[in-house]
Amino acid sequence: MREEEIEKLRGVIRDCVSKHLYSSAIFFADKVAAITKDPADIYMQAQALFLGRHFRRAFHLLNASQIVLRDLRFRYLAAKCLEELKEWDQCLLMLGDEKLDEHGNAYDIKDNSAMYLDKDGEDREINISSAIYFLRGKAYEALENRAKARQWYKAAIKADPLCYEALECLIENHMLTCEEETSLFSSLQFGPEDGWLSSFYSCLIKKNYKENVVEAKFKELGKESSKTNLSSQSFMRALKDNTDLLACKAEYYHQSGEYQKCFELTSGLLEKDPFHLKCIVVHLAAAMELGQSNELYLMASSLVKDHPQKALSWFAVGCYYYCIKKYDQSRRYFSKATSLDGTFAPAWIGFGNAYAVREEGDQAMSVYRTAARLFPGCHLPTLYIGMEYMRTHSFRLAEQFIMQAKAICPADPLVYNELGVVAYHKKEYNQAVWWFDKTLALIPNPLTEMWEPTVVNLAHAYRKLKMFHEAISFYEKALTLSTKSLSTYAGLAYTYHLQDNFSDAITYYHKALWLKPADPFCSEMLNVALADECRQGIDPKLDLR
Amino acid sequence: MSSKESCRNELRTAIRQLSDRCLYSASKWAAEQLVGIEQDPAKFTPSNTRFQRGSSSIRRRFRTNEINSTPPTGVAYVSTPVMEEDEAIHGDFYLLAKSYFDCREYRRVAHVLRDQTGKKSVFLRCYALYLAGEKRKEEETIELEGPLGKSDAVNRELVSVERELSTLSKNNMIDPFGLYLYGLVLKEKGNENLARKVLVESVNSYPWNWSAWSELQSLCTAVDILNSLNLSNHWMKEFFLASVYQELRMHNEALSKYENLQGTFTFSNYIQAQIGKTQYSLREFDQVEVIFEDLLRNDPYRVEDMDTYSNVLYTKEYFSALSYLAHRVIMTDKYRPESCCIIGNYYSLKGLHEKSVMYFRRALKLNKKYLSAWTLMGHEYVEMKNTPAAVDAYRRAVDINPRDYRAWYGLGQAYEMIGMPHYALHYFQKSVFFQPIDSRLWIAMAQCYESEQLHMLEEAIKCYKRAANCNDTEAIALHRLAELHRELGQPEEAAFYYKKDLERMEAEEREGPNTVEALTFLATHYKTQKRFEEAEVYCTRLLDYTGPERETAKSLLRGMRIAQSGFPSMDVEHFHP
Repeated sequence: MREEEIEKLRGVIRDCVSKHLYSSAIFFADKVAAITKDPADIYMQAQALFLGRHFRRAFHLLNASQIVLRDLRFRYLAAKCLEELKEWDQCLLMLGDEKLDEHGNAYDIKDNSAMYLDKDGEDREINISSAIYFLRGKAYEALENRAKARQWYKAAIKADPLCYEALECLIENHMLTCEEETSLFSSLQFGPEDGWLSSFYSCLIKKNYKENVVEAKFKELGKESSKTNLSSQSFMRALKDNTDLLACKAEYYHQSGEYQKCFELTSGLLEKDPFHLKCIVVHLAAAMELGQSNELYLMASSLVKDHPQKALSWFAVGCYYYCIKKYDQSRRYFSKATSLDGTFAPAWIGFGNAYAVREEGDQAMSVYRTAARLFPGCHLPTLYIGMEYMRTHSFRLAEQFIMQAKAICPADPLVYNELGVVAYHKKEYNQAVWWFDKTLALIPNPLTEMWEPTVVNLAHAYRKLKMFHEAISFYEKALTLSTKSLSTYAGLAYTYHLQDNFSDAITYYHKALWLKPADPFCSEMLNVALADECRQGIDPKLDLR
Repeated sequence: MSSKESCRNELRTAIRQLSDRCLYSASKWAAEQLVGIEQDPAKFTPSNTRFQRGSSSIRRRFRTNEINSTPPTGVAYVSTPVMEEDEAIHGDFYLLAKSYFDCREYRRVAHVLRDQTGKKSVFLRCYALYLAGEKRKEEETIELEGPLGKSDAVNRELVSVERELSTLSKNNMIDPFGLYLYGLVLKEKGNENLARKVLVESVNSYPWNWSAWSELQSLCTAVDILNSLNLSNHWMKEFFLASVYQELRMHNEALSKYENLQGTFTFSNYIQAQIGKTQYSLREFDQVEVIFEDLLRNDPYRVEDMDTYSNVLYTKEYFSALSYLAHRVIMTDKYRPESCCIIGNYYSLKGLHEKSVMYFRRALKLNKKYLSAWTLMGHEYVEMKNTPAAVDAYRRAVDINPRDYRAWYGLGQAYEMIGMPHYALHYFQKSVFFQPIDSRLWIAMAQCYESEQLHMLEEAIKCYKRAANCNDTEAIALHRLAELHRELGQPEEAAFYYKKDLERMEAEEREGPNTVEALTFLATHYKTQKRFEEAEVYCTRLLDYTGPERETAKSLLRGMRIAQSGFPSMDVEHFHP
């Protein structure tokens, strides 16, 4: 056959691939490869086989051709086949034995001057070694060697910042602590035209930054647009409303406890893109906090119908049951989600919480421990372990774990609140006040109802320090956030009582008892206060009239 | 005060604006005041004014002092506000939304206006959301009702409405109506300080929204708070002040304000009803009766405030009038909380306490925050000896309005009945704090101190003294004071109070065992004091009564004669300087 006819056939093969007619592609590729014996055509044949899901055959073809060990692309494709076949050890073997030095840079022990045939070169290409590193990471993860997997993912994104998959794995699976994330980000080398990507990534890798930091980053993205020329300006504007970015924003809202805002945002996003997974997770979490059981039910049913094999779907079912307070069922479904996909962090946490809420501490702890092991970059399991210890009054252990959580994520106000509570229980009230102040400093203003307990805690601590005025002012602040809390009223009443202000004390004991008529502390203290007031005689205020 | 004509113009504009925003009560109120302004007789035919003229002669009867037509007040608002209206395109949506609102389909309103950004649309959307939340809350309350309608149902829209309004107000993109709603929401959430601030802002920029003023009034729980408000001068402020004074039990101030206002709003039924209510608080029942009769003649289908009238009829035990009123309101509108209260009062007067409780309960079903129904229901439960239920009802009353002294008093009584004097004492103190001129309260408190568990006689004496200073109609205080002093071994004071008590009984031409007791004590006391002449007077008076005291008196007299004759030396000494 003539050269141009072959060239035409190659075109047909490419077109078959793009039209997803893999059998035809395989048929013609086989013929072309047979005629030319060109490595590039063999590669094309292997590619077609791979896409047609004939992994074993593709691997055999690559292995049979001698070029496989010399060309990186061949090797990579062979490894991909092994990945699909789930032969992880073989896969690693195929990828060769590069090592990482302590800075995370790869080097090869025996330099085998890899050949690299650039055939159908695009203008921009993902660095092939980045892809290899990423695949290596995946193999290690499948082999449950998380430390190595993490190293290789990091190497992959370092080798080429455009390798988003590696970054996604690192972030979504909570592999890095806050500090590690930032240092990794700063070590990335973006091309001159990729400025936007840099700011985009910086939005993705936030973990409980303060609001202004995140807001500033979003603004930065906006500003980026005004700097560059007109065409990219509209491009940037479009990016600003990109679902990925807004999903991050929603996640941030969720972390800072603004569930309503979060819910509204995700509802809008899901209208645009109903299957955006990350957004669905955040949406489910927000709906659960808001008690929107109806919404959860609908989402869970449709998810289970569409994706019965996804952990997310069963996680949604678990959320629904958790929301309607059927914790046993919810536990069952969370557990199902974790068994479908062990790397799905929300399900693990939900699983633990479903135990904890029924006060089954031991089981909860073991789940949290597993989660902490699986997700070293997620501070929540560690924090929850600390909380469980606190419930059993092991304050030293609790403190240890919470400090650990703080090391992972130093920006979450919840951590500081828990530290304050530990200090309070250890009767270190000054320390407690310090922690609670720090908590409140991290929360964006205005405070929402979610942070009312912190304010009350602070007031309790001030009361213990006999700083009654401060205590009262914080109790009152707490009352503006929620008027349904027994402990606020009881604390306020007791503070007034300690100040010998019996009349106000009695009023607030009453209010507390109105919320919970059988509260033993309040009813007993009310009797005491009434007797005290009586002993005091007629209120002198009355005589003035 | 600004001229009648300008008031009228302002009100006319305001009514349109208010009803356009579906603030129905406020617009009703404004319209009532508009018609309440005295018409210029020159301009109108008699048929126009007939309705107003009605019975002005009776009105004048109780006016303490004739008021000059225009008493001076501060600077008045002159400018009629020009509210910016949303563009015409959005106007169509607004019209649809308003129609939905009129059909009480609140969520549809919010949906139609979801993307509108005009201030008017934003207000109506938020208001509709708020009302939708309220409606759902009511339904939930009924679904998960605890004892006496206690429930934890909350308005779920509050959070989102508050968030939106607070952002708007931060960016200064909010109109006075929005501010009113914001204040309402803040109040519901318990953030009273901010609520006051926001409401003041609202009424300062748009003073004709009576609903905003009323919310502000409910947040003015003390004179200090009132004084700290920074209100601009406007004739609407006078209405507000009058209402606050009334609520703060500064009745005379309130009355004078209302009478001032009557200079302009001569025929306002609202003002007349408020005057009636104030007089009721002053316990001037005769006047109240006349006022309300007059009101009913002018406005025969009025149900508002008529429960006060029924209270008067109840107190005066006018069976037939109360029955007539009850039947009348049933025909007008059976399912209004006021109507139910009136019927409840009627049954209570007939001694049918169970039926009466049923009607008070119905009133509370219709309006859970209906204060007087809670209190009256408490009274009924006390009558039925169902103390726990009474306590609960009174509790609800003071929860709604902590200045309701009747409920505090009821609580005290209930706790006294179940033998918990410490509690009772606290509640009596509360009630006395808000109503220090009522002797019954002081006496109740004193009796508490006297109880076996407390036995604090000194404090009891203090209370009785206060009671005696007030108008003690049942004349318990003096007698008990005397007795207590006697028990404490203070005969001088005892004699003093016995004498006062006696004087009082003489003045009221009353006689009874107390008279005998007082006479006996005084006779004995003066005898031991060797003031025989006085002693003799009392002894002789005692001789008019039958019973053992008469014998005592006789023996006392005998003893005195012996003493006087047997020990002349005492007399001699006595005559020495």
